[in-house]
Amino acid sequence: MASKEELFKELAEGVVEYEEDRVKEAAQKVLDEGYDPLDAIMDGLAAGMEEVGRLYDSNEYFVPEVLMCADALYGGLDILRPHVSKEARAAKGQVVIGTVQGDVHDIGKNLVKMMFDVGGFTVHDLGRDVPLDNFVKEQLRTDSEIVAMSAMMTTTMLGMKKVIAMIKEKNPDVAIMLGGAPVTKDVADLFGADGYAESAGNAVSEGIKMIGRLRELRQKEKQG
Amino acid sequence: MVELNPKERVARLFRREAIDTMPCFSGMGMVTIQAIKEMGIRFAQVHTSAENLAGSAIKSAELFGFDSVVIPYDMGTVAEALGRGISLYDESEDILYPTVPEKWGDLDEVEVPDNYLSNARMPMVDEAFGILKSRANGQFAVGAWVLGPFTFAGQVIELDLLLKGVKKDKERVEAFLTKMTDLTIEVAKHYQSLGVDYMNVREMGSGTDLLSPRMWKTLIKPNLDRIFEALESPKILHICGSTDMIIEMMNECGADVVSVDQKNNVAESRKKLGNDVLLLGNFDPYGTLCQMEASEVEAVIKKCIDDGVDAVWPGCDLWPDVKEENVKAYVRTVKEYGKKASPAVGRLT
Repeated sequence: MASKEELFKELAEGVVEYEEDRVKEAAQKVLDEGYDPLDAIMDGLAAGMEEVGRLYDSNEYFVPEVLMCADALYGGLDILRPHVSKEARAAKGQVVIGTVQGDVHDIGKNLVKMMFDVGGFTVHDLGRDVPLDNFVKEQLRTDSEIVAMSAMMTTTMLGMKKVIAMIKEKNPDVAIMLGGAPVTKDVADLFGADGYAESAGNAVSEGIKMIGRLRELRQKEKQG
Repeated sequence: MVELNPKERVARLFRREAIDTMPCFSGMGMVTIQAIKEMGIRFAQVHTSAENLAGSAIKSAELFGFDSVVIPYDMGTVAEALGRGISLYDESEDILYPTVPEKWGDLDEVEVPDNYLSNARMPMVDEAFGILKSRANGQFAVGAWVLGPFTFAGQVIELDLLLKGVKKDKERVEAFLTKMTDLTIEVAKHYQSLGVDYMNVREMGSGTDLLSPRMWKTLIKPNLDRIFEALESPKILHICGSTDMIIEMMNECGADVVSVDQKNNVAESRKKLGNDVLLLGNFDPYGTLCQMEASEVEAVIKKCIDDGVDAVWPGCDLWPDVKEENVKAYVRTVKEYGKKASPAVGRLT
């Protein structure tokens, strides 16, 4: 019988080595042995993804590797998440995510989405090339606390400004996150957004760092 | 003092012959909203009419004194001709570039029809080149560009499939990129046969933001080598994003010129490549021409020149909604500060 620590390490290493089957197997064992699936997500899968972030920052991994690590992570997440208690999931809140109209690139968006999935948020993914009104409608429909928009190309980023104004007008408490290659901190400030990821590369780093922060929060919750 | 016309100026620069001053030009779109407004049309209308496409390029160059006209503006023309459709956003009042709505779901589904050069908007683009050539009269160099094979592949196949495929399914991805390389060569040669003055190959999706230098060497470079072997001069390789780690390999692909964007450390790249290589770049067009105060533009352009470019190129297409005063400052600084010789190109005395 594998110990909890052994299985979590197996999950983390499987993510880092992008071995999806290894991760799935370990995730199933976590359930079979009766360990907490949320612990396994945070201390196994998310811990592995944090290491992936370090490898990416140090130019050891590039986007192809990160995408495969993400696939491995989802392999485990799909098995573990249905077993996380409803209370734990509901407490996290909801997010509307998509790339704005005119942008058909969604790698950065999908990595940020992964961060929310790991964090236990309910994610309303509108996909890519999303008409601006749809962000507003979906936020109102779901009453989501966060709207995350991405634009990889300069040519589409200005659309985000309009969405932010429309959402803030109707619901000033919604947190807005921007991401994508051309969006700088200055631009995010100018648009009235609450968070940003600087580039496609940074969307990778930032998304992964957010996972790290989620893990820290969970540690504090547990200690508290 | 000798004064060259723009076409001569650009042609001589590419041959590394002395010129009067640095040309203000690009290998990417330079259409401005001021030109579009003056024509009484909307941005969405420039992509489907040869007259509007060529007219807006010429009008932009005339308004601001650019040395070149470059078309088309969107990246969807070839993918559309392969049958992937196009989203023109023609109801939108905003500046939205056309995009390709339907990608192939699998590498094996990709088919290149025999007649794609005469499909969809391809004949319209040809007609627009014809208009540019007939009206340029030495006042503009006529530039054309194609996407590099990896970047083009990302237009017709889901990029994540492609990126994961390079690790998991390398042989199939390589075979597919060979096919895309053949297509890139065919399109670029077609534009060269129309008499364009230079050809820019934009392999912009291949910087080290996405791919490792090692992967660039094995997956991207061989295809670029083949492209530049096949094309006539002048031919340029442009890659945006992170290029510091691959700049030397970029220079070994057989292009006459290397172009990079604002993420590249040009002063370092110049040291690595030496003074004989034509190096273009590298200001952020959106930040410099749409966001900054006009008074800040001069310093940005001067820095590009001081860092050692042979011509100041924007890192990407100009975002059309430029501030008029900023563009004027950009053009003025290039032409004034560019009177001194650059590393690879001398000046006429």
